[in-house]
Amino acid sequence: MSQGIVENLIQQLMKLPGIGRKTAQRLAFFILAMPDEDAKSLSEAISNIKQKARFCSQCFNITESEICSICSDESRDRKKICVVEEPGNIFVIEKSGSFKGLYHVLLGALAPIDGITPDKLKIAELLERVKTNGTEEVIIATNPNTKGEMTAQYLKEVLTPFNVNVTRIAYGLPMGSDIEFADEVTLRKAMEGRRQL
Amino acid sequence: MLHRTEGIVLKNTPYGEADLLVTFLTKDFGLINTFAKSPRKVKSRFGSSLEPLTYSRISFWAKEHTSLPRLTQSDIIKPFQELRENFSCFLRLSEIAELTCNFLPEGEANIGVFFLLKKIMEMMQSSCSALNALVYKIKFLELTGYAPRLKGCARCGRSGQGFYVSQGSVICGACLDKLDEVSDKKGVVTLSAGSIRLYETLKAWDVSKTARIKVSENMFSELSGMLDAHIECTLSRPIRTKTFRKETVPFPCSRV
Repeated sequence: MSQGIVENLIQQLMKLPGIGRKTAQRLAFFILAMPDEDAKSLSEAISNIKQKARFCSQCFNITESEICSICSDESRDRKKICVVEEPGNIFVIEKSGSFKGLYHVLLGALAPIDGITPDKLKIAELLERVKTNGTEEVIIATNPNTKGEMTAQYLKEVLTPFNVNVTRIAYGLPMGSDIEFADEVTLRKAMEGRRQL
Repeated sequence: MLHRTEGIVLKNTPYGEADLLVTFLTKDFGLINTFAKSPRKVKSRFGSSLEPLTYSRISFWAKEHTSLPRLTQSDIIKPFQELRENFSCFLRLSEIAELTCNFLPEGEANIGVFFLLKKIMEMMQSSCSALNALVYKIKFLELTGYAPRLKGCARCGRSGQGFYVSQGSVICGACLDKLDEVSDKKGVVTLSAGSIRLYETLKAWDVSKTARIKVSENMFSELSGMLDAHIECTLSRPIRTKTFRKETVPFPCSRV
């Protein structure tokens, strides 16, 4: 019986990305050895996120209230909007501490071959925000791949009538890497985007 | 077993945390789906080599009964980055990639289609015209055995100008009366004699010479409308990229 409970937990943990059977087994026995309160907090955190998480009505970030903490923070620069593909991207940019404006999550990227058209993304909502909030700059931070680039080009075109400054995050080589191992496209983009020292 | 070949990326689909499922049109193995480990990570050795339309030299491990080979290496031969940077040009090529993915069987080499795609991509680098995309469709359908028949009625060989989508052919008036089902007579596209001649010319001429042909707007829309209807009927579903193009703002292609 106890074997069944442990096995069940292992099977559930294996559903997480990057977790194989061995890691799941290690985690299951770690949870078993945890103090009761810690194990309870963990299970509550999992069930809470499924019950309470929702999209922010303004930027479509994940939040538990109507408006997320970033959108409701008055100290942030409200004239700048950084457009990202997924809510997870906000966490990474926030961690870098390089941006103090607002965000807008598209919840995907344009993909003609997969049938992801503009109406399936939160593009109309972005245009509405830009129109009503007096936005001065829209920074497009979609992924630097074909889908992200296409989305960026499309956004640039649809934002043109709003007389707003549309910028794209820079391309280049990752810090700590070697030029020797960079591919042609990345190097070309890095050369094109060079700046005066 | 480790295989080495040249391939063009037709599409990629994110899988798991940072992996990709990449569909290649290869020179020696035809259409193949491969699994690439962690190419979406910043310091991945694959770099941008798995972006759609990239022409690379690839290596992959494939066991006999494993459906998904594992991609081990991909070195760019030609990135075709300019094609991806132009919105309408990329849409035209996405439609071509979608057709190729849907019509070709997996794992069957078709060297004609491989070189046709490569040639069309090279031509589109200098002129991203809709005619090039039309030429690809005509030649591709011919190479894969799905070409529509416009030269005479499919039943008796007599001439006719009504192309019946459900039959994939021109049907003459006499044979049309003999068709039993009403559904067989549905979806007729009337083609002018000029459009039929243009189709036969584009089909016969070498790809690199087709750019010399001046096509009137009427003939072009007649022919492309007929081909799209034929493709959608053969696939039994609409072409996604075409639907996408209709829904997006028609941005002008700067190099037309």
